[in-house]
This record gives sequence, structure tokens and C-alpha cells, in this order.
Amino acid sequence: MTRVRVTAPQSAARPVLESRESAEESDVGQVFVRSLIRSQLRLALVVAAGFLLILLAFPLMLGLAPGLADVRIAGIPFGWLLLGAGIYPVIGLSAWLYIRAASRNEARYRDLAEDR
Amino acid sequence: MRPGTVTWRKTGEGAVNPVVGVAAFIAVSVATAVVGFYGLRISRTTGDFYVASRTVRPWWNASAIGGEYLSAASFLGVAGLILLSGTDALWFPIGYTAGYLMLLLFVAAPLRRSGAYTIPDFTEVRLDSRAVRRVTSLVVVVVGWLYIVPQLHGAALTIRITTGLPSWVGSVAVVIVVCLTVVAGGMRSITFVQAFQYWLKLTALAVPIIFIVLMLAGNGAQAVAEADTNPTGLAPTGPYQNISLLVALLFGTLGLPHVLVRFYTNPDGQSARRTTLIVLGLLSVFYLFPTAYGLAGRMFAPGLAESARPDALVLLLPGRLVGGPAGEMLSALVVAGAFAAFLSTTSGLVVSLAGVISQDVLGGSVRGFRLAALISATVPLGFAFMTDSLALAGSVGLVFAFTASTICPALLLGIWWRGLTDAGAIAGMVTGGLLCGGALVAGALTGPAASGSAMPQWLAQPAAWTVPAAFAVMVLVSRATKDRVPRTLTKVMTRLHTPERPLATER
Repeated sequence: MTRVRVTAPQSAARPVLESRESAEESDVGQVFVRSLIRSQLRLALVVAAGFLLILLAFPLMLGLAPGLADVRIAGIPFGWLLLGAGIYPVIGLSAWLYIRAASRNEARYRDLAEDR
Repeated sequence: MRPGTVTWRKTGEGAVNPVVGVAAFIAVSVATAVVGFYGLRISRTTGDFYVASRTVRPWWNASAIGGEYLSAASFLGVAGLILLSGTDALWFPIGYTAGYLMLLLFVAAPLRRSGAYTIPDFTEVRLDSRAVRRVTSLVVVVVGWLYIVPQLHGAALTIRITTGLPSWVGSVAVVIVVCLTVVAGGMRSITFVQAFQYWLKLTALAVPIIFIVLMLAGNGAQAVAEADTNPTGLAPTGPYQNISLLVALLFGTLGLPHVLVRFYTNPDGQSARRTTLIVLGLLSVFYLFPTAYGLAGRMFAPGLAESARPDALVLLLPGRLVGGPAGEMLSALVVAGAFAAFLSTTSGLVVSLAGVISQDVLGGSVRGFRLAALISATVPLGFAFMTDSLALAGSVGLVFAFTASTICPALLLGIWWRGLTDAGAIAGMVTGGLLCGGALVAGALTGPAASGSAMPQWLAQPAAWTVPAAFAVMVLVSRATKDRVPRTLTKVMTRLHTPERPLATER
């Protein structure tokens, strides 16, 4: 997915190429950087925690409902299906959601840092 | 968890036609060399040699990462452990895959944006310290060597079982082929080789098992045993072992040197994330197949578990269940895939180790890189001769525990915590390395004699306490040495976390 930024033509006063350098030097730039790092870290921790909860819920579910593990789908016990195949879509979904949200955080940072 | 100590007491027990095994190995080696040579014509400068000039597309890159990551442990070990331990062993592939999720969440984009070539480069830039660089290099080399040894054990096992030749032939052959490809082409050709080998490995696992399943369904064959029947009567692993294993795999992937070096070949942070997402997909598809082998082995050939070589399940199952010329063809395919696994992981590790050794010791020239590649491949060969093979998935799991206790805390705190100092990073890596390394050595000394249940669980799976210990030491020592926070901190943190120039991503 490529995101195309639709803006007025860049004025000579504020070339995009300098955004990183100015972020390093100015205090305001550092405020934006710190807030970007905080939101990215929070996002990563939330996704990781959510994923680990689901991961723990799978064996708990099998443990609490003993009959469930023996239900067969196409001859394969449900417990095997759940742990052997069912977790992978959860991993992929977590990754996809994270990437979308992380890109959004960065787009927001870019808007702030460049429209200053 | 050490259920399957592989012993090779009997000789010449080739259950596969020897010609098939040798032919499969030669075919894979030749294909590797051809793809490597094709890449050689493109790589000309030192930059090309190390990181393919950062021009590799996400799909290529992701296939290459998958090809490099799926080692002997994934190709042979996982199915073998599932045969032995049933659903408990399913945590191995889950952990191997979820480790990439953690890598995506916490490491992928910042590490790419750091602009460093290797992990020691990263720690040096972040902490502005040569001492940290040296310690990190040392740890990376240890991790790489520890990781290559099981690959060579896998090659030894495969050669032994498929051709009846002495097992050292397998290890030596793998080292020779790896040295030739790496010395000839560097990273660029390695990228193509690795990408090719992912698809080879997937095909080599998928085609035989799909054939077997269709055949069994067509015959209406009855399962010999229930899926949940334990074929050996070994005690199941407890929750502590499973949790400790997950800690090792989730956090260990973050620090694998041969995986991280791949992220530098992405053009920018965004594409590093996209690459990781594709890798997750590729791994998820791949791991369905070792699981299927393990399940099929449990239901239709539980006898393979008692032969004390459960790691050979994948190699033997097609011959056992299909038989005849069709069985031989399928066996040849599986053997080829197994060698692709040993070759790709070993060459990936050798490239990243050679990068570290040549930059730190030999001055970073192309000649130095070639010499370093030879060193990085031959030293583990010595280790492989001296040590006895454990279950492949288990011994690779221990390498993950070591990485998780050393490199992972340095990377995570370096990327996300401004307070990290060089003294803290060194203290934490040394603590984690000593604790985890000590547990590994103690386990190796007591393990073979008293295999399995006799070893205390906390020693068999040390990650659950060594990883927190390493983090704690790193944080405490950094707090105590606050005045050593590098002056370049603001600049580096800004570079790690801010997106690249819009021009780089919005093409």
C-alpha cells in the first residue's frame, strides 16, 4: 500500500529533506519525536499483550473443557487443529493491525513535524 | 525437554536407497552453486558483498529470511519432537513464528533505520562505545557457532540414514558447499540462494505429505495409534518448561544475527515491516507441514519413535508409508529439502559471522570477508565432531535461550529506553551469557547420562530466569552509571524512530 501525500507544492522555505535534521536540533522537534516513540512503544506493548493473552487462552480453553480436545474434525483432534493451525492466523492478524497503526503514527508525526 | 537423545550405534541402517540420498545432495548443491553464481555477476563492490546494497525487494527478502530461518530444527526437529511429545511440541513452531511477531513489533523498523550493518554496529552507534561493540561481537560469534553445530549434526544424521556413509561426511560436505558459495558471492548471491531454498524446502515437505494424506484417505487406511497416544512413555513436559521455551523462542528470534542482517537489505523502515509481515505468512504456511508429519507419524508409524531417531521421521515417513519407486522419489525430495535447510541456515550464519569477524578483526575488506567466512564455517565443524547430537529442535531452542539472555535485552533497551549505558549493556550481556551458558554446559554434562526427567527443569530450560536476570542487571547498572549516557543519544533516538524522508517510501 503506498500512501500518497496530497499537499500544496513544497515551498522553498521548508524543504522536506531537512525535517530529520531539524527534529534533532530543536526542542519542539524533540517533543514530537518523544511522543512518536511513546506511542509506538505503547502500540507494540498493547499488540504483544493482546497476542500473548490469546496464546494463553488457547491451552486454558483446552484444559477447562476436556471434551473439546477430542472433538474430531476430518479425523484430526480439535486440540491439534487449534495449536497446530489455529494460532497462525492470530499471529498474522496481529502483525497486520500493528503495521497499519504504526504507519498511522508515523504519518501523524510527519504531518506535525513538517507543518510546523 | 530432552526426549530424543539421538544415538547412532548401529551402522549402515539405510532405510532410503543410498543412490537417492547422494543424488539429492548433489542436486541441491549444484542448484545452490548455480543460483549463487548467477548472483555473483551482479555483486562487485564491498557494499554489494555485505548487504546487497539494500536493493532487495520485500518478496525476495522475505523468502530469503524464511529460507535462512527454517533450519534443521524446523525441517527435521519439529516433526520429530511432535512424534515424541505430541501437542506439547506444537509450542516449538508457534514460538518460532511468534518470535517474528515480536521482532516486527519491537525491532524491525528502528533497526533498519539505525543504518548499521550488523548487531555490533548497532550497539556501537547507539551507545557510542567501542567496548560494547567488542562484547556484542563476541556474543554474536558464540551464538552463530552454537547455531551452526545443530545444522551440522542434522547433516550428519541425514547422510547416515539416507546413504549409510559415516556421519562426518554430511557435516564436512555442508561446510565445503557453504564455504564455496559464500566466498564466491557474498550476500547478494546468498539472497537469491536463500529465497530459492525457502521454496525448495516448502515443496520438499509439502508434496510428500500431501501425497501421503491423499493415499491414506484413498486406501481408507486405519490409524495404527491414536494421535494422543504417547509412543515412548516419556513423561509429558510441565507448564514451566512450555513457558520457559516460549520465552526463549519469542525473545530469542529478536537477536539472531543471521536474521537481523537481512533487515539491512530493506530500502527503509516501512518496507522492513512489510517484509516481516510476508515472512510471518511464509512461516505460518511452512509449519503446517512438519506438524502434519508429526501427526501422521503418531497415527501411522509410531514405531519410528522407538528407533531412537525421531529426528529422522520426516526422512523415513515417505519410504515407510508409500514405498516402491514413488516412495523413493518422495524420499529424494525430502532429503533434498533437508540439505537445503542445512545449507541455507549455515550459509546465512556464516555470512553474518564473517561480516562481524572481518569488520572487527580483519579490517572489512572483501579478502578479509572471505578469510573470515572460512574461519566461521570450520570452527563449528570442530565442535560438531566433539559433541553428541541432542534432539535438533531442543538444541536449537537452547541457542534461542542464549540469544534471548544476551542480545535481545541490549537491542530492546537500546531501541526503547534512553537510560541504557554502555556499562549497563555490557554487564547485562555478560550476566545473561554466563547464566545461560552455565546452564547449557551443566545441562550438557549431566544430560546424556541422565537424559530427560533426571535433569532439573530450571536447568533444562533456563530462559525463564536468565532473560529477566539479564534485563534486570542491564537496567540496574545503567541506573548506577547515569553519567555514561552517550551525548549522541538525542540524534540516534531520532534517527531510529522517525520515518525516512517521504521520498524514500512514496515512490
